[in-house]
Amino acid sequence: MKRLYRAALIASEYHREPRRADVLVEGDRITGVADSIDPPSDATVIDCAGQILLPSLFDVHVHAREPGREDKETILSCSEAAINGGITGMVLQPNTNPAIDSAAAVQNVLDIAREKSRIWPSVFTTGAITKGRKGEELAGIAGMKGRGVVYLTDDGDSVSNPQVLRRAMEYAKQFDLALASHCEVKELSGKGCMHEGSVSYSLGLQGIPSISEEICIARDIRLAEYIGVHLHIQHVSTALGMNTIRRAKDRGIRVTCEVAPHHLIFNHEHIGNYDTHYKMNPPLRTAADNAALLQGLIDGIFDVIATDHAPHTEFEKNQDFASAPFGITGLETALPSLFHHYIAKGAFGWDLLVKRYANEPRRLIKLPDTEIKEGNLAEFILFDPSRSTTFTPDFMKSKSKNTPFLNQTLQGQVTHVHYRGQDLLSR
Amino acid sequence: MSPRKDLLDIASLQDEEIEFILANATPFKDLFKRSVKKVPTLKGRTMLTLFYEPSTRTLSSFEVAASRLSADVTRFDVDSSSVVKGESVVDTIDTLEAMRLDYIVVRHKQSGIPNLIAQNTRASVINAGDGWHAHPTQALLDAFTLREVTHNELPGKRILIVGDIQHSRVARSTSLLLRRLGMQVAYLAPGTLMPRDTPAEITRFDNWTDALDWNPHTVYLLRVQMERQADSLFPSVGEYHRLFGLTDTRLQILRDRKTWLMHPGPVNRGVEITDAGMNYDRSLINQQVENGIAVRMAVLYTLRPNPA
Repeated sequence: MKRLYRAALIASEYHREPRRADVLVEGDRITGVADSIDPPSDATVIDCAGQILLPSLFDVHVHAREPGREDKETILSCSEAAINGGITGMVLQPNTNPAIDSAAAVQNVLDIAREKSRIWPSVFTTGAITKGRKGEELAGIAGMKGRGVVYLTDDGDSVSNPQVLRRAMEYAKQFDLALASHCEVKELSGKGCMHEGSVSYSLGLQGIPSISEEICIARDIRLAEYIGVHLHIQHVSTALGMNTIRRAKDRGIRVTCEVAPHHLIFNHEHIGNYDTHYKMNPPLRTAADNAALLQGLIDGIFDVIATDHAPHTEFEKNQDFASAPFGITGLETALPSLFHHYIAKGAFGWDLLVKRYANEPRRLIKLPDTEIKEGNLAEFILFDPSRSTTFTPDFMKSKSKNTPFLNQTLQGQVTHVHYRGQDLLSR
Repeated sequence: MSPRKDLLDIASLQDEEIEFILANATPFKDLFKRSVKKVPTLKGRTMLTLFYEPSTRTLSSFEVAASRLSADVTRFDVDSSSVVKGESVVDTIDTLEAMRLDYIVVRHKQSGIPNLIAQNTRASVINAGDGWHAHPTQALLDAFTLREVTHNELPGKRILIVGDIQHSRVARSTSLLLRRLGMQVAYLAPGTLMPRDTPAEITRFDNWTDALDWNPHTVYLLRVQMERQADSLFPSVGEYHRLFGLTDTRLQILRDRKTWLMHPGPVNRGVEITDAGMNYDRSLINQQVENGIAVRMAVLYTLRPNPA
């Protein structure tokens, strides 16, 4: 089966403005990219005039909730949500129930992904650093490595004991496994549920101070430097934390990091009347942090964009702010929200998006990129900047609808998702 | 002035609504001097009190206020209800909705619970204190009391609020309302009980000497929760009293300057206040309690439940 994508605007990491071209796909690969390709007689022609054609996105921070909380999300529904958002690869986090902390648990989740997900083999998993993510004893690291975990993390919790983290780093290093950190000093966060600042004062909510995250970022980087292991910092939310990473990178330390769209777009003022769709951990910080993180993304401090997609039931989120769980969904809204807020306004270009949300995430877990060029695997999407997307409950494929974009309309729409010879979505 | 359904905090009140409530409290208070203290204003209406946190004076104050307006008063007994078995607040409200109540007065240890309830009922919701967030009827009665003693001359006067600001809904609501009415507000607290971010217009003190040099017209003491000791927020009650309490020495300074003294109650004698402070002739504590009933009557009179 051959497909000719005609007159698309091809986005690439390597040039700021998309360039008009035709793309020919045969089987699971791109077999031609040129100004004009005559359609082979047996090809389906897809007219892409005015649409952006870019490598499909890849999200390294996803909570699919299976096994354990299939009422919130399954690997199947999660993969459908991803496709709906133009994402065809993801890295799952280990805070399932039971936690992914052994070879058997890794095998189980990958078996489910192979059988159920619609983007196999592009579903990967991390493994826990410690048994049960309790921060006490090392998880079965060698066994998990054998089953293909891409890195280790106790995501959702920091390994609070630095000696345990040191040992984990030493042990993981021999398998060339990176560690990823959710950076938080739990004692400083206490029962906090939002950023400590002027809004937590007026709402009367216990705050999570910025230092809770920043101190842990500094600690984990110093440990990683000392041991010589690759450290990945998850969902950075503060300017100061980001600058700590910037300096570490300048010193040549092997540290990478990610930023979530919600930490760029929203801040604590958006919580308004206790809206739990703005409750996540790390919390939304200040407008100054939004601006600094955006500049950091433009400056290349953030290696990847990742959503921290965290589904929760409507019932759980419909509680008072302190009692509701942390986390929002993100897979379906990420691209339209970044387009609407930044690309459409010229804050950054498609090149940045392709680099930080398609190519670098794949490189982070040692996969080849999927730039639109002859010979590469065909994993790309079409995005129509002239359409818009309204995030109604019916539109969204995730089992959970806990997003601040619920029933909101954003500029742009993912109109087509192609994955290795299959059209997974077309609208 | 469009009708208001709920009273959740001070921030959402318009200036004219504040004036309307305070103005109406005066005739209600005049009623208390009569032998029959009751008017038929809310006859046939039902007010339910839903207190998830223990309270005696605020609860009684609302009950007396409602009965003086001839409303029927029902107490939802949280202790013996299914909420102790883990029923969520929203589920409880769904149940209460079937009772067709007119007013729900709620107190809860979590900030924002009254806002959540208000979104799920057609009854008028009155916040009687939620977490660290707001206690709007306390703020209104404090403002009413201060207007009485200043003969309606609040602008420019200074009030010093002393104690556990961090965990105090009273400090947040009262300071906001008094600032809106033109007063200057300062906080005095140990560093551990002072919020990191407070509104820029509020002066911050960490010792009595500087705070008294600021020359407050009124000193407002907050109740100190004994259990804060256990959270390492101050080393001992004795040390708190010595450094931040209204000691007899400090009381003498207030006496010399004819400074007014307020407290939302209940007091901890020997901690934030002494027996001598309780007997101080410019203490407004009892006046606050009496005014609380009048102000709560005015609040009930002002709110309009959504029609069924």
